[in-house]
Amino acid sequence: MSDPAAVPGQRTSRWVLLLHTITFRQARALVPAALGLGAARGFEGGTVTVVAAVVGVTLLSLLWAALSWWRFSYAVGDTSVVVTRGLLSRSVRTVPLDRVRGVEVEAPALHRLFGLVRVEIDAAAGSVGSTGEELVVDGVTRAEGDRLRARLLAARLPPSRGRHAAGADLDPEVDDDRDEVITRFDPRWLLYAPLVGSYLAVPVAAFGALFRLLDEVPDRFLPQVDRPGVPDGLLAALLLLGGLVLLGVGSIVGSAVVNWHFRLVRRGGSLVATRGLVTRRHTELEIDRIRGCTVSQGVGMRLAGAARASALVTGLGDAARRGQLLPLGPQEEAWALAERLVEPTDPLQLHPAAARRRSVVRGVVPGVLVLVAGVVLTATSGWWPLLVVGAVLTGLGVPLGLARYAATGHATGLWSFAVRSGWLVREHAVLQRRAVVGWQVRQSPFQRRAGLVTVLACVGVGSGGYTARDMAADEAAGFARAASGAWADALTPAG
Amino acid sequence: MSTALPAPAREPAWSLSRSAIGLWTVQGVLGTLTYAVLVTAGILVVPGDAGALATIVRWGGPALVLLIGVVTTGIRPRLRYRVHRWEVTADAVYTLTGWLDRTWTLVPISRIQTVDVNRGLVQQLFGLATVAVLTASSQGTVRIPHLEVEVARRVAEDLARRAEQVRDEAT
Repeated sequence: MSDPAAVPGQRTSRWVLLLHTITFRQARALVPAALGLGAARGFEGGTVTVVAAVVGVTLLSLLWAALSWWRFSYAVGDTSVVVTRGLLSRSVRTVPLDRVRGVEVEAPALHRLFGLVRVEIDAAAGSVGSTGEELVVDGVTRAEGDRLRARLLAARLPPSRGRHAAGADLDPEVDDDRDEVITRFDPRWLLYAPLVGSYLAVPVAAFGALFRLLDEVPDRFLPQVDRPGVPDGLLAALLLLGGLVLLGVGSIVGSAVVNWHFRLVRRGGSLVATRGLVTRRHTELEIDRIRGCTVSQGVGMRLAGAARASALVTGLGDAARRGQLLPLGPQEEAWALAERLVEPTDPLQLHPAAARRRSVVRGVVPGVLVLVAGVVLTATSGWWPLLVVGAVLTGLGVPLGLARYAATGHATGLWSFAVRSGWLVREHAVLQRRAVVGWQVRQSPFQRRAGLVTVLACVGVGSGGYTARDMAADEAAGFARAASGAWADALTPAG
Repeated sequence: MSTALPAPAREPAWSLSRSAIGLWTVQGVLGTLTYAVLVTAGILVVPGDAGALATIVRWGGPALVLLIGVVTTGIRPRLRYRVHRWEVTADAVYTLTGWLDRTWTLVPISRIQTVDVNRGLVQQLFGLATVAVLTASSQGTVRIPHLEVEVARRVAEDLARRAEQVRDEAT
């Protein structure tokens, strides 16, 4: 009865053919090759060749999209979901419904044009950080997407909550009076974007792509730009200023595209996050599976009092993106969120003075190595610049070491514990005690002499482990015991 | 080398099979041979009149290989054997590994997901096997290296059975 094979497979919408042809989804891999071939042959035939190539690639793309569409089907049975695909070799993947951890409905811009959505079914089986366990059904109608989601999630939840989830209005655009809005993105928060490394990377990547493209285009198609008649110094300064402004604006735009209209609501037993200007994303996290929370702040963000908060959720693929609760915002907001999800700990404890010494030594060592090399070079060949670089690096190592030391700390609480580390990006992770699946205590010969250890809490969420570096050696066992359970008593030294 | 400071964690109760020393020595010999081949190739490739570089490769290379050989075959296996210990307690698997660096790893049986027994090529020569205990965390894997095959098999079976009984789904 519950045999999934008995359920007839369904194809995705036919419109997806058009969609994939337009975006060259399958043939995209051929484009660089075609460009390279064209560049090598120098586009001899001129316009005719280019048009022929474009038509050829489009036809190929259509054919490919059609074949993929024809060979792809999905079926949701009583106990499992089956996805069949593959052009030549058939791949049939069966995922039991109780393994489905989450369903994400995504509507990229072009999909919206055709009224389609992409459904990503997350079935990570214990493996942290892998996206290989994900099923994607690309290009079903909005209604079918919502039906799939409701169906899959209803089967996963206990009956009482399942009915609720299935009955709830699944359209994120419509307000539901059962929804409790937790965070609503304030457009002013976008001003923090230029302080965040990952958003700054967006315009840089865009420029990089642009220059690569310009490089590919033959010279005769490029306009000749005359050098403007201004002095070199002024030109450089103007270029730099312009670059900085573009970088700032680019990062704000990039952040706006991703985070536009971000909203985090609580719906039944789940947290639902929606966001995006062009592509609307709709992610659902089960509150029962939340094991912890991180609040991270880069150097610039700390200066401006900004932070981002993420939930650590078991069995969530692509957790870094999906777990985001507050992509960018004031730190007070981030802390309030963290405290709401995970019981707060006692105040953070700094590590002993020996840890500060080690941190400074760690910060200085690379500089000293360069310095020694510089001394050797200066003595042998009189080449001194390396010496200067070494001295500067060594000097910078001291404040860096002190700052890194100031960032580390750990804390325990009744139900949770916390570790903090990092200077470039300071990450404060608060985890529930029950999240711990193991402890690792490491000690190098240097640490042994200084009476320090590095304690790693192994957890089945996030990066898989959270580290408290250079903790006092005699505190390690007590911390492990207080941050997990009685089983950690095995670590306690005798006597 | 050793100081008066006490260890940060208790020492697990059981030591490994003595054959582990032989196995580590063989691994050290194999590693040293690899370096020796690389250095020989380097000496053949670098021309004799290349000045300082030739001197470094000709004298430094063999010296380095000699040092690696002494450390990895003479010193490291014994140090490792002295450090390595393991134990299965009532509710956890506990190991101590390393030679210069030391690592204590503790995993509760209730959080075990799978238990593997692995036998490498060299391990088979010595009749040894490694028990790998995996959890939901990519970093929370405990390996008990170089147990006698029969012991490894019994430990793995016992752990798998007990994990089945006490497994909790919290993670």
